[in-house]
Amino acid sequence: MARFEVPEVDYTRYSNRQLAAIPLVVLTAALLVIGGAYATTGAPVDPGLDFTGGTELRVAVDAPSDAQARERIDEAFAATPDSVQQVGGGDVYVITFESTEAEPGQLEAQAEEAGFTIRSIDSVSASFGSDTQRLALLGVGVAFAGMAALVFALFRTFVPSVAVVVSAFSDIVIPVALMNLLGIELTLGTVAALLMLIGYSVDSDILLNNSVLRRSGDFYESTYRAMRTGVTMTVTSLAAMAVMAVVAGVYGIGLLASIGTILVFGLAADLMNTYLLNVSLLRWYKFEGVAR
Amino acid sequence: MSAWETVKDNWRVVLLVFMLVLSTVFLFAPAFDSTANAAAAQENPTNLKYGLQLSGGTRIRAPLVGVTAEGVQFGNQSTAEVERAVAAELPNADSADVIARRTAGSATGTVELVADNATQQRLANALDAAGFEYETVRDGVTEATREQTVAVLRSKINAAGLSGGTVQTVETISNEHFVLIEVPNQDRSEVVDIVNSRGTVQIAAYHRVTRNNTTRYVNTTVITQEDFQTVGTAQQGGQGTGPHVPVSIKPSEAERVQRLFVQTGVAGQGGTDCSYRQSPQSTEPCILVIRDGNVVSSFGMNPSLAQSMHNDEWAQDPQFILVTGSFERAQAVSIDLRAGALPAALALDEGTTSSISAAQGENFKRDSLIIGLLAVLTVAGVVFARYSRPQVAAPMVVTALSEVVILLGFAAFIQYPLDLSVIAGFIAVIGTGVDDLVIIADEVMAEGAVNSRRVFESRFRKAFWVIGAAAATTIVAMSPLAFLSLGDLQGFAIFTILGVLVGVLVTRPAYGDILRALLTDR
Repeated sequence: MARFEVPEVDYTRYSNRQLAAIPLVVLTAALLVIGGAYATTGAPVDPGLDFTGGTELRVAVDAPSDAQARERIDEAFAATPDSVQQVGGGDVYVITFESTEAEPGQLEAQAEEAGFTIRSIDSVSASFGSDTQRLALLGVGVAFAGMAALVFALFRTFVPSVAVVVSAFSDIVIPVALMNLLGIELTLGTVAALLMLIGYSVDSDILLNNSVLRRSGDFYESTYRAMRTGVTMTVTSLAAMAVMAVVAGVYGIGLLASIGTILVFGLAADLMNTYLLNVSLLRWYKFEGVAR
Repeated sequence: MSAWETVKDNWRVVLLVFMLVLSTVFLFAPAFDSTANAAAAQENPTNLKYGLQLSGGTRIRAPLVGVTAEGVQFGNQSTAEVERAVAAELPNADSADVIARRTAGSATGTVELVADNATQQRLANALDAAGFEYETVRDGVTEATREQTVAVLRSKINAAGLSGGTVQTVETISNEHFVLIEVPNQDRSEVVDIVNSRGTVQIAAYHRVTRNNTTRYVNTTVITQEDFQTVGTAQQGGQGTGPHVPVSIKPSEAERVQRLFVQTGVAGQGGTDCSYRQSPQSTEPCILVIRDGNVVSSFGMNPSLAQSMHNDEWAQDPQFILVTGSFERAQAVSIDLRAGALPAALALDEGTTSSISAAQGENFKRDSLIIGLLAVLTVAGVVFARYSRPQVAAPMVVTALSEVVILLGFAAFIQYPLDLSVIAGFIAVIGTGVDDLVIIADEVMAEGAVNSRRVFESRFRKAFWVIGAAAATTIVAMSPLAFLSLGDLQGFAIFTILGVLVGVLVTRPAYGDILRALLTDR
């Protein structure tokens, strides 16, 4: 069986500036991507059907080939679908209409007329979608503020708490930027994943801070101890979420696929942020900040 | 060491086993099976309840159409008078579109406009024109109207024979109210047809009147929804009448109905022949069945019924049949008459609808089970690769799985409907659960062998601080989702939080005990 060992990093070879540079550059780039998206589209990330309103149909199409099935789908509907996605190489297609102009009742009738078997229909009205968007933003904001308050209450020291909160912030911002770059839309599933990240990603930061601040022993020894556990944790979750993202994507289960994808991005970002950004801030605090 | 002391020492493990046994009972024991019929029990070997996403069905979530004026000064007018006065100021609205409610023991009340084109401006203008003072006008309807609408929707769904359907109101954090309708095993279009119409049915006489030397046809409302005593189910009917609904009129209204039919000429001598469809400007008087403003059917009166009305006999036994032309319309009319009209209609264009076929539900069930199993296998693989000692890794995987079993047992016990979002929650629980077990294992095994209980206990406590802190952040982060009605994600949040709680309170401490038993030399 393959062995999985957490390598020991020799942090003494790098200055705090060097360590923090990489995550800070990535964070800045991510913020720029999000800011650019906001400036051009008015939204930090492309909102999906849950927030804009629209209709998603899942239909079984009886056609000899994928191309012919797509042709039949194009012919069947009066409105032009925003996306047509094949599910798991079978005869089932997920068809998305992102405007509420195409009324779900009409789409249903058109699909039935074309002889498709309707597997599911989901429709969200535009006004309901914009309410949901406001609620989702509020939810993420409240969750983040609650987490930050809790972290300050747990450590009761400024710099280490800020280190955790900044890492967590970056853990959320990087996946959102990646969503922009990869064209992944914001759905309820991705919002859930972002909230999940707030909870998940601080685990390894708390572990690291606890090990360095509350335990005896030399800084590098404590860091390595926390890192061995923390990396194992994150890699385990990351592997599980990657499997979930891939398999759910093949089966066309959007909710699970988007939760999986965002968590993979976020946990990968967390590895970088915890062991470069958080470590450098902690080291500065331990060797210079306390002395002041 | 005596047996009792062993139990006392390992009470955390005992608690875990107890919880697992309890969950298994909830999951599989037929005594807890709420699905009473045997066929359903056979299809579903566990007591788990599946939500619409996994079993198929339709869900509609929509607000009600309407605007409300608060603090309207009624003076000494009755609510019916207020309704008529306000409706008179609104073109295209009748008194069914205006609902006045008096606040108990005061001269003020609310007036709601529930017509399709209701706006705050229209209601305000109508109140001003009718001379009523009011405090504010807002969007939305009153709680009483909402409750009545839900009750009518329930009886409509029951009258249509859609079993297992539920209707309830949900409130969002921004104080908006939605009606949530869930009907298992039905297509979207069927459910929408039933709930989307207000279902006001009235019976009118269509007849000629001469006023100011001009003759024209008018509708005179003879029977409204409240006048019916009994309404039968839709009948196929034989030759002659065809599909119809048998009805009877309340004795108190019978005289009036009889008089109106005679006055309008519908109950003419020798009955009437109706040709409303072919020649509406030259027909004999007709009976019209009008549903939501549309004429469903038109028919004449047969000679014997007309005769008994003329002879003043019909009112003694006031029943007749409503001819509808098609069986489907007979069903719709029957459902509407029996369930009553919706006080306010659903605004489907401001809500969401979701419909999943039973076959797709089965696929989702199977696929999500596979995804869950693969996620567990992945976790197990990584854990075994990291800790080559099976006595550390194996209990880790078993403990993480037992969290899911306990959660499933809990879901079966409270009959929480499982949806994809709950499954996502289970997978998240496995993820966080293993994370914490890794913390415990690493902490306990750090710096050499664990050879005494004291060393073990102290290390375990240190590990637990981190676990508690991590659990608290997860709960804080997920709680907005559990409370905000963000659609389908409530289940995800609730089960993630529950999983964290079960983990911290039961399974993770038990893992500590198991590890101690396997690692320490006594």
